[in-house]
Amino acid sequence: RSFASQTDGESRLARVLREKFPRASAIKVVDISGGCGAMYEIHIESEEFREKRTVQQHQMVNQALSEEIKHMHGLRIFTSAPKA
Amino acid sequence: RGRAGRPLSQAAGEGGGAEGGGGGSGSREAVERLVREHPVVVFMKGSPAQPLCGFSNAVVQILRLHGVEDYRAHDVLQDPDLRQGIKNYSNWPTIPQVYLNGEFVGGCDILLQMHQNGDLVEELKKLGIRSALLDAEKDQEKK
Repeated sequence: RSFASQTDGESRLARVLREKFPRASAIKVVDISGGCGAMYEIHIESEEFREKRTVQQHQMVNQALSEEIKHMHGLRIFTSAPKA
Repeated sequence: RGRAGRPLSQAAGEGGGAEGGGGGSGSREAVERLVREHPVVVFMKGSPAQPLCGFSNAVVQILRLHGVEDYRAHDVLQDPDLRQGIKNYSNWPTIPQVYLNGEFVGGCDILLQMHQNGDLVEELKKLGIRSALLDAEKDQEKK
C-alpha cells in the first residue's frame, strides 16, 4: 500500500498519538484488519520512553488511546526510545 | 465470527464491565489468588492444548520453546467475569496476559520481545526454571 492511502482510523490514531507524545520522533499506525479498523499495529519511538520498562511504555500507549481502544478487537504495540 | 469478535469496549474498568463482588471470579481478591497460584500464570483464550486466538497461541508456543510446560493457564472465554476482572486488575485491555511470580509482565508482543532479547531466559532463571534453550545452545557448542 502506498503512503497516500492511509485509512481514517490510522490518521486519527496517529494524530492522537502525536498530541499525547509530543516528544515522539517516529509514529507509525497500521490497520492490520484489512482496513476494518478492528486491529492496529502501533510503532512509536519517543524520548518519553527512555529508562522505562516495556510494559510501562505500552501502558502509556494504552492510556493515551484508551478511548479508541474500546472500539478495537486488538492491537499490537511496539515502543522504543531513540538511540542515544 | 462468534466469541472471537468481541470489542475491547470493556477495557480497564471503564464502561459496564462487572467489577465483581467480594467473591466473584473477577474480583481483585480472586484474581490476586490466581496470579499467585504458580510462578507462571497465563490468562488466554482457549487452552494450551487448543489456543483459540493467534496471540494466545504465540504465548503458548514461546513458553513451549523454553521448555515451560508446567504453568497455570486460565481460559477467559469460559468466564466473562474473569475476562473483565483480569483487565481491571492489570489495567491492560487485552488478552493474553502473562504473570511471572504474581507480577504482570505483558502480552504476547512483550513476551516475544523478551524471548528474542534473552530477557525471558533470565526471568525464568529467577523463578528457578531453567530454559530449555540453554540446553539447546549447549548441545550446539558440543558439535
